[in-house]
Amino acid sequence: MMRSLKIAAVAVCLVGLFVVGTAAQSTSGTVSMSATVSKFVEINSGGPVTLSGNTGGGVTTDGTSNNPLAVVINLGELGPSNESSFVTANVPLKLRSNAAYVLSMNATVSSSGSTANRITAADVGFGLGSVTRTGVGVHSSGTDTNATSGDPTLVANGAVNGTSGRYEFTATRSNLAAFSSSTTALNGPYIMNAVPRSNANGLVVPAMFAVKPQFFEDGTTTVSVTFTVTAP
Amino acid sequence: MNKSTIRIPIFFLLVFIGGLGIAGAQTFDIASGGQPTITGAPTGSVTGSSSTLDDLVVTVNFGELSPMNASSVVKVVVPIAIRSTQPYRVTAQVSGLVNANPQSLQPSDIGFGVNNFRPLGNQAANCINSSHIFYSPFHNDPASNITINAAGRAAYPSALSNIVLSTTLLTGPRLSNNSSPNRQENKGYAFDAILAVTPQFFAAGSSSGTITFTISAGPNVPC
Repeated sequence: MMRSLKIAAVAVCLVGLFVVGTAAQSTSGTVSMSATVSKFVEINSGGPVTLSGNTGGGVTTDGTSNNPLAVVINLGELGPSNESSFVTANVPLKLRSNAAYVLSMNATVSSSGSTANRITAADVGFGLGSVTRTGVGVHSSGTDTNATSGDPTLVANGAVNGTSGRYEFTATRSNLAAFSSSTTALNGPYIMNAVPRSNANGLVVPAMFAVKPQFFEDGTTTVSVTFTVTAP
Repeated sequence: MNKSTIRIPIFFLLVFIGGLGIAGAQTFDIASGGQPTITGAPTGSVTGSSSTLDDLVVTVNFGELSPMNASSVVKVVVPIAIRSTQPYRVTAQVSGLVNANPQSLQPSDIGFGVNNFRPLGNQAANCINSSHIFYSPFHNDPASNITINAAGRAAYPSALSNIVLSTTLLTGPRLSNNSSPNRQENKGYAFDAILAVTPQFFAAGSSSGTITFTISAGPNVPC
């Protein structure tokens, strides 16, 4: 009996040795991976500003393509001594996103004047021009919705008020009074295909501002416009 | 028939069965080759054992891969130890990472290469009659060889799209000097598996996948 137990014990030990030897070995291993891609949107300058019809004034801080948008413009004289039909400023915007976007705008207009004849937000025409989605890496087939009426100087977008005689920008969202709170100006599907951020292309749209020189109350006026792009 | 006549065959049978259990397993081994590392991923991480005695179980979180991540590339290096007493083959296969939207992260967007083959120590077999061979196109550091394709998307000499099926990365003669089945720190070789991703305007979402590395019998080459 004792001999049988000894044999069995030796056998178990030998098997155990083999098992210990193999326990730390494997013929396969794994690398598990995960990654996150969040919604991303950005707005930058789409290039230099174009100012026309101005008497005096000028572009104080110009736009540089792909740099942060921080443009400063002096529209110059806006009284009747400026005989231009309109003073216009064209500010190119560049938008990029990996998701559907919404471009909103908020404008404030303050004037030193004190009467109803001072320049108000309604006297500053505004519209977004044609949207272009071109270049390598851009989702060129995306369709954007422009909530403005386009170039504010178009005949269809404004006229002299028959009663007051004041020129008014009358079309839908064609002047800054429509943007006294954050209001959607443009929206659309994703802009960029899967390309690195170093790709400089994107959606370019001109923001067009216009003022009709008139017998405004004399004084100075400051217009501040903030564009915001989001991915809802 | 007396009892001892029966007991002795049973003894050898038990030993034989025990031996069978290890006959295949002791020939090949794949394990961690050291501490994996990650760079260019502010919100990413990698976990794995630094010990070459531990199994290869690595978890990579690449973190944010949209343009929010300003890094030019997220790079992960996974050291892998291999041991064998016979000629071997190392294969890899990726699973998961299936995104129907072509603008989402795809297997082709994750560069994958292998390099830096090195002995683990003095019990690494020094075979002079055959070489250890990295198979094309994998012998590269994808983080150092990024190109932009015609669509503007980052591309690599080799990527996870090359290992959607089980694919050979490396073959060679036996890796270990002795025939001991034990996993030892100084026995066998190691190499680096390298993953690289360029943050891009990928469609938003999350992705996951797994690479399985396997070592098995390879072409019968002399040591």
